[in-house]
Amino acid sequence: MIPGFTFVAVAAFLALLLLLSTRDEEDKDYDATVTRKRDRLGSAHALPPAELALRIFSPKDREFIRLTHSPRLERLFHKERRKVAVHWVRQTSREVSTIMRHHRLNSRYSRNMNVAAETKLFGQYLELRLLCGVLLLLIRLFGPHALSNLASYAGKVYEQLGRAMPDAGPATHYGGSGDLAVP
Amino acid sequence: MLNMMIWSVGIFLELLLLVRGYQKQLYRQFPIFYGYFLFVTLVDFVRIGAYRWASIHFFQVYWVTQFLSLAVGSGIIFEIYRVALRPFRGAARMARCALLIVFAAIFAKALTIPSGEVFTWLAKASIELERNLRIVQALAILTLVLLFLWYAIPFGKKLKGILFGYSLFIGLSIVQFVLWQYSWEQIRPFWSYAQPVCYLLVIGIWVRALWSAEPHREVYPNAQIESDYELLMASTRGQFRKTLARLGWVARA
Repeated sequence: MIPGFTFVAVAAFLALLLLLSTRDEEDKDYDATVTRKRDRLGSAHALPPAELALRIFSPKDREFIRLTHSPRLERLFHKERRKVAVHWVRQTSREVSTIMRHHRLNSRYSRNMNVAAETKLFGQYLELRLLCGVLLLLIRLFGPHALSNLASYAGKVYEQLGRAMPDAGPATHYGGSGDLAVP
Repeated sequence: MLNMMIWSVGIFLELLLLVRGYQKQLYRQFPIFYGYFLFVTLVDFVRIGAYRWASIHFFQVYWVTQFLSLAVGSGIIFEIYRVALRPFRGAARMARCALLIVFAAIFAKALTIPSGEVFTWLAKASIELERNLRIVQALAILTLVLLFLWYAIPFGKKLKGILFGYSLFIGLSIVQFVLWQYSWEQIRPFWSYAQPVCYLLVIGIWVRALWSAEPHREVYPNAQIESDYELLMASTRGQFRKTLARLGWVARA
């Protein structure tokens, strides 16, 4: 058992070293000043506009297609919308990586680097990548409207629960700001 | 006979590396690495002497010099850290912090051994002790390599060769020691050849990397970036916040 584990660990260690030795050093001297200039202009990380996200994942178009009562058209719509949604999430994920890459290529020179802040930032980066991964999985499995469907389903369940317990309805428990109201 | 042949080839390659280092003045760039090599070459001559004229003391000489080589060899990790991260002060700071955590974790693990057993542990077979020290070295190298990959630290052929060769040496040593511990009977016939052959392989990598005429390229830090760190952090955080908000709209759509 232990020798097996050791061999796997050593193999992984050597593979990592091989990765390092074969790494393309083309971008080794990525010009940090150029990056910063691009940062200031704001054009390097132009993320897809918010309207685009709202439109891709909005149920309005789906409702409109449903009105045509054409199953073929609906199928086509779902297929295309799924592709667009996957593309959008992938692009967002790539841009998160680019932002982080620019950050670490600049921060590596910095004498006053804050290790705690860097660690926290790395955590945020992982969180964003994970979110993109989960979103991709959900889109692939249930389609682009999965999240809004899930939200509306949760809402319905909550309403039903409220109806089942008339004395402690959801409206009396949940304040507008998200705080628990005193019954 | 075969053992002596492997040994001689090893000494020849070590001398070749030292001569080349002297000719190209590489010892100025990598003083610890060449110091280690000088030490290892001298150790080889001491071992040959012990083997020929005092063979009854050979194993004592072997293990004492082996531990000294291990201690001096740890300096190579420091050299890799020093040369690679010299212009990258931010990455060097992160590396110091990460290495501190790794060594603190190892130290904490060592403290869990009851005090009475520490001496028993030290007195255990030398091979086991060397294996444990090699694992510590491997963890330190792993931490450095992960940071080098994360911060895209450029190396140059020479430093990359030193790092790859030494890591391979440590990796192969750990495998050998584990094999020794768990399947001694099966590997006994090959044991006396395995370590020298692996060492020849490693020294071959070093000769090839350090033979290169390409000079070690210095990278100079950018003064503007040093002063703009807070701005950089704020900018990255802001962009992350915007992206998170955008991903949140997906659920709200």
